[in-house]
Amino acid sequence: MLGLSFVELIELFIKVLIFPGTLFSLLFSIIVIWFERKFLARMHLRIGPLHVGPFNRLGLFQPIADFLKLVQKEIITPSKANNFLYRLMPMLAAFLSALSIAFIPYALDPSGGYWVIFYTPLSLLVILVILTAKPFIMVGAGWAANNKYCTIGALRAAFQLLAYEIPIVLSLVGIVIVARSFDLAKIVEAQSSVWLIILQPIGFIVILIGMMAELLRRPFDIPLAEQEVVFGWPTEYTGVQFALVMVSEYFDLCVTASLITILFLGGWSGPAIPLLHDISPMLSGIFWFLLKMAVITVIIIMGRGVFPRLRIDQLLESGWTILIPFAIIQILITLATAQWWLPLIGG
Amino acid sequence: MKLSMGPQHPVTSHFRFILDVDGDAVLNFEWDVGYTHRGIEKIAENRIYVQNIPVVERINSYCDSIGTTLGYVEVVEELMDIQIPDRAKYLRVIAAELNRIASHLYAVSLVGISAGFETMLMWTINDRELILDLLVKLSGQRITYTYPTIGGVRWDMPDGFKEEALERLGYLEKRLEDYYRMMAWNRTFQMRFKNVGILKSSDAVGLGIVGPNLRASGVKVDVRKDEPYEVYDRFDFEVPTGKNGDSFDRASMRLKEIEQSIVILRQALKDIPNGPIKCSPKGSKVPPTAPRGEAYSRVESARGEFGYYLVSDGKSKPYRLKISTPSFRNLPALPFLCRNIPLGDIPVIFITFDYIPLDVDR
Repeated sequence: MLGLSFVELIELFIKVLIFPGTLFSLLFSIIVIWFERKFLARMHLRIGPLHVGPFNRLGLFQPIADFLKLVQKEIITPSKANNFLYRLMPMLAAFLSALSIAFIPYALDPSGGYWVIFYTPLSLLVILVILTAKPFIMVGAGWAANNKYCTIGALRAAFQLLAYEIPIVLSLVGIVIVARSFDLAKIVEAQSSVWLIILQPIGFIVILIGMMAELLRRPFDIPLAEQEVVFGWPTEYTGVQFALVMVSEYFDLCVTASLITILFLGGWSGPAIPLLHDISPMLSGIFWFLLKMAVITVIIIMGRGVFPRLRIDQLLESGWTILIPFAIIQILITLATAQWWLPLIGG
Repeated sequence: MKLSMGPQHPVTSHFRFILDVDGDAVLNFEWDVGYTHRGIEKIAENRIYVQNIPVVERINSYCDSIGTTLGYVEVVEELMDIQIPDRAKYLRVIAAELNRIASHLYAVSLVGISAGFETMLMWTINDRELILDLLVKLSGQRITYTYPTIGGVRWDMPDGFKEEALERLGYLEKRLEDYYRMMAWNRTFQMRFKNVGILKSSDAVGLGIVGPNLRASGVKVDVRKDEPYEVYDRFDFEVPTGKNGDSFDRASMRLKEIEQSIVILRQALKDIPNGPIKCSPKGSKVPPTAPRGEAYSRVESARGEFGYYLVSDGKSKPYRLKISTPSFRNLPALPFLCRNIPLGDIPVIFITFDYIPLDVDR
């Protein structure tokens, strides 16, 4: 089957079903949703979810309860909506967001390769292509729902995502120059002696801000602005369709956090953890990867408690006039200082 | 594209705006009020004077009900020619200022949420609860107090109220610093609120804006100072004014007014005399009928100037009660400011004027 041996087949199943596939990404979504609610509640001087789940006053299973509630709900399609597109888009959104996870290497494989579902030397480019498809889903869904708020939200989303993809891609150029590869695994290996966040701090900030805008997190949640356009492009979705939209949002967060970890924080590299390392060196790598990912996730989530929302013209203006010039400056610095960083990455 | 915002919308409460939208720009703005019309002026003609106090309270029930009822009670007292005892006057001022603080904290919280700043909403709403607790101690209710009554106030201060009030005001004063910082140190907040919806003082006067919104435009008008009612002439306080008249000024005006309310409350709690809290001793009652005639009263509520015009034909019920409410008088500012602006500014401008639809529709 697929020309794979039995062991390889088992390994593939583990990758797809457990880590980094279905189970991991779903668990990540659930934990992050719970953490976000509890963490924001602390910032707001509230208590947050309280009763569902084991330990007292933690409300651990609240996201699961919410998900079960959403699944039970009736699916309502607005009478004048484009039925086919309206139903297709949430599924496509969740599918595309989950697809990116297949190309991200999470650790070194004990047998010598990388712990990744589908290895390709062009993985960075593939993920960028998938990222670019997101505005089409939003515009499609916003148009199909035939609601004015959805349409305005979708157009805002399209503007925002298109404007912020450019600084992201420009910053990635700097990384590709250093690593001399589009392969995410090679990028991690290039950082074996020094992390790229030290070599390219401006690029890191540009990508972090750009990715927050791509994820529609506050202060960049303009397409979903409740006070202006109710909930933006997914306003009309209910029940399981809304759950799919939410899940795709958190899958995107998972992909983004993984990507930033790989690009700037050295991926799975880190000192060996005694206990985990004894079982398998891979586990130690995964531990470091998840730890770095958690830090990035917390930073991205924190914006919601600290900032008000920007306006769309302010956002586009800062995207075109601040982020893009800074991304270009980073590329120029990277090229100009090549003689200093080349020995650091073993070139 | 015509966009009908409200009356069921996260931010417009029970207003309906009809916007002409081109992409993300608002070209034209019209308001459509009347969703919460209850005919309070007509209802008031069918109740006796005392029964009307809870009725007029529903004009503005969840924000500044003391300010609302105070105006009605005063106009009736003027018509009946009743002099109320000093202690009752002080208690009315204390209740009114506490209610002003609660109302302004509510307004500030909405300012936060108008730009999606949830932390500001939660913090101010949390602290508003402290003031509501004090009002519960004073009147027994959280939001609809019916505290001033014709000829005095309904209840006296409970024991220990003074100390607790001073303690809580001290805490609130510290928290005000945090709120200032939340506004002035947060660059994103400033980007959203500064130079948005600028209302010049000449325009504000021309449109007939009242209350904190007028003061934010730099016009120093306050009924408490200009035409003192109750015992406001005995207190030493300032009338804060803004400079630019933009949304940021209107938002921070609420905080400045809370500061002055605390100043008034401290003096009132210190100076309050002993004595009766109603004009008549036990047994005898306030006259049920008013003499033939008419009277007018103005009070400065949290949203601005309330005007009550009462006509009596000598019977037990009012012949006519005309109410002029601050939110309705502030309404012309919206179409004036909300043309040719981005859609994102609509909630900011609308919320900083601190409208309440109940008040507009009556």
